[in-house]
Amino acid sequence: MSMIVTTDLSRTYNPDTIPVHALRGVTLTIGSGEFTAIVGPSGSGKTTLLNLIGGLDTPSGGRVLVGGTDMSRLSGNALIDFRKNHIGFVFQSYNLIPVLTAYENAEFVMLLQGRPEKERRERVRALLAAVGLEAHMDRRPSQLSGGQQQRVAVARALAPRPDFILADEPTANLDSHSAENLLDMMARLNGEEGTTFLFSTHDQRVIDRARRVITLVDGEVAEDVRR
Amino acid sequence: MGMLIRIAWRNIWRHKTRSFVVLGAISLGIWSLIFLLSFSRGLIYNLIDNSIRREIGHVQVEHENYRQKREIGYLVEESARKVALMAADPAVEAVTRRLLVSGMVSSARGARGVQIWGVEPGEEGRVSFIREKITEGDFLPEGHSPPLLISGRLASRLGIQMKSKVVLTFQDLDGHITAGAFRVAGLFDSGTTPFDEGTVMVRREDLLVLTGGAERDPAHQLVAVVVHPDSAAAVRDRLTAVMAGDKVTTYREVAPEIALYESQIGMSNMIMITIFMLALIFGIINTMLMAVLERVRELGMLMAIGMNRRKVFLMVVLETLFLGLTAMPAGLILVEVSLAFFGQTGIDLRTFSEGMREYGMSEVVYPDPATDIYLRVSLSVVATAFLGALYPAWKAVRLKPVDALTKI
Repeated sequence: MSMIVTTDLSRTYNPDTIPVHALRGVTLTIGSGEFTAIVGPSGSGKTTLLNLIGGLDTPSGGRVLVGGTDMSRLSGNALIDFRKNHIGFVFQSYNLIPVLTAYENAEFVMLLQGRPEKERRERVRALLAAVGLEAHMDRRPSQLSGGQQQRVAVARALAPRPDFILADEPTANLDSHSAENLLDMMARLNGEEGTTFLFSTHDQRVIDRARRVITLVDGEVAEDVRR
Repeated sequence: MGMLIRIAWRNIWRHKTRSFVVLGAISLGIWSLIFLLSFSRGLIYNLIDNSIRREIGHVQVEHENYRQKREIGYLVEESARKVALMAADPAVEAVTRRLLVSGMVSSARGARGVQIWGVEPGEEGRVSFIREKITEGDFLPEGHSPPLLISGRLASRLGIQMKSKVVLTFQDLDGHITAGAFRVAGLFDSGTTPFDEGTVMVRREDLLVLTGGAERDPAHQLVAVVVHPDSAAAVRDRLTAVMAGDKVTTYREVAPEIALYESQIGMSNMIMITIFMLALIFGIINTMLMAVLERVRELGMLMAIGMNRRKVFLMVVLETLFLGLTAMPAGLILVEVSLAFFGQTGIDLRTFSEGMREYGMSEVVYPDPATDIYLRVSLSVVATAFLGALYPAWKAVRLKPVDALTKI
């Protein structure tokens, strides 16, 4: 079943001055439960593609369908609500809320969704246990290591049971031990919960774990390999 | 909402030093505003009370032409009966009657033009504060020589002291010049230079004899103080109905400047509160804008993961309100402490004493907080915090997540 469909997707920055074509007619289909890496050199359009799929940016041409919904037809709070209910984000630099504890960070999106307290508590505790942070749930981000913060970010992204998770260079700021742990954990959750993962990465360890690798060069799909 | 409140509250403590500086500024602003308003109200009521208790009372009865022409012949007849009528009004606290003539006080060294008050010491002491202002001697005691009460300042100019003899020269009720010898029995200091330099007091019966009115029981002024100043107009209306031919006025009509001062209290309060709000609003905008601009990336992340713009807006507004609401109790405690202290000791303005005396103000002013001032200032702080939050909150919700997330 197709989770994400992009059709002739393009994004041009500064169209009126010095146009920069970040994406040129990308057509892709990502199925449910995939563990896919988007790779390519810097400036190849990986982050731009993820931003368009995640509804954070607007395409210059083409369209993105997520679970059958045309993202270009959503705007403002409708788009924010769509992201809240369907997409999980893991950022390169963790981006946790510094004034909340690990537990509160992981619970945050579920709170925005208005999920009942019991459901939130069970889900967040289970996820923090799954990412190995059960003992650290009362700590704030400043009291956690980079690897631990990124695991909280993954728990936050997974907690509301999104349709898929977009992870932009999730291991870029981690040491190799933390990166391996994180990848193990994400692969396990992908297997256990069937959550679709879509990474942008340079990291060979992530590429090695991916079951599908899409290579972008100069904003175009140069290679799409399934393993 | 609970989560928003939690985040907003914790956010204000992210930069403790900055928050404490802002909280301190708001607290001091609240303190200075309420203290200043209380001081200014104390100053104005000091002026009003001094006028009322020195001279004009709350309600006056005079001949209908007396106030314009000030001639000795414009008398209130049957003054004793009318005083009794006034005293019978339940809103009236005390009544006195005065015979007033313009004349000259002369000593061996010199002479000064004065207004001579013929008063009844017992009643006068209940209506005016002059008995409390006697610095030496007594308030027109009975004795062999007709007593005279004069200010220490005027006595000094005339080169006289206690027990000195002076001569008062004035017109009698028939228009003839007459004179009488009086002995200084007391010195006073009312705190108002023009009054002190232009007024002497004698017993009414002594002045009646000299003016030739002893058999007619006349007076120029019947003056009453009422229990609550707000009832003065009602008392005037009741007395007007029973005193045909005489003019009954309240202190606001006799001294329109008092009505002006009273109305100015409200206006000056409004101006000061507005200035305070303007100063505060720019401080708040500056602080909150800084708080928003340094969290651009975080705000972008919040919107990316699903926090809608209304909640982001509300979060920034809540942070600002929390700053104001946290500072408010501290400011109000400062106000209470300082008003408790200065309410006991007063604020000594002796440095400006000459200027104050000219305007009939006491040298020590007691701050007088209006009952509603705490509420008005508190509401102003909340309103200012809300208004000050609008622009930073608007800036926050205008952020595009994709741009905000790439900000360093």
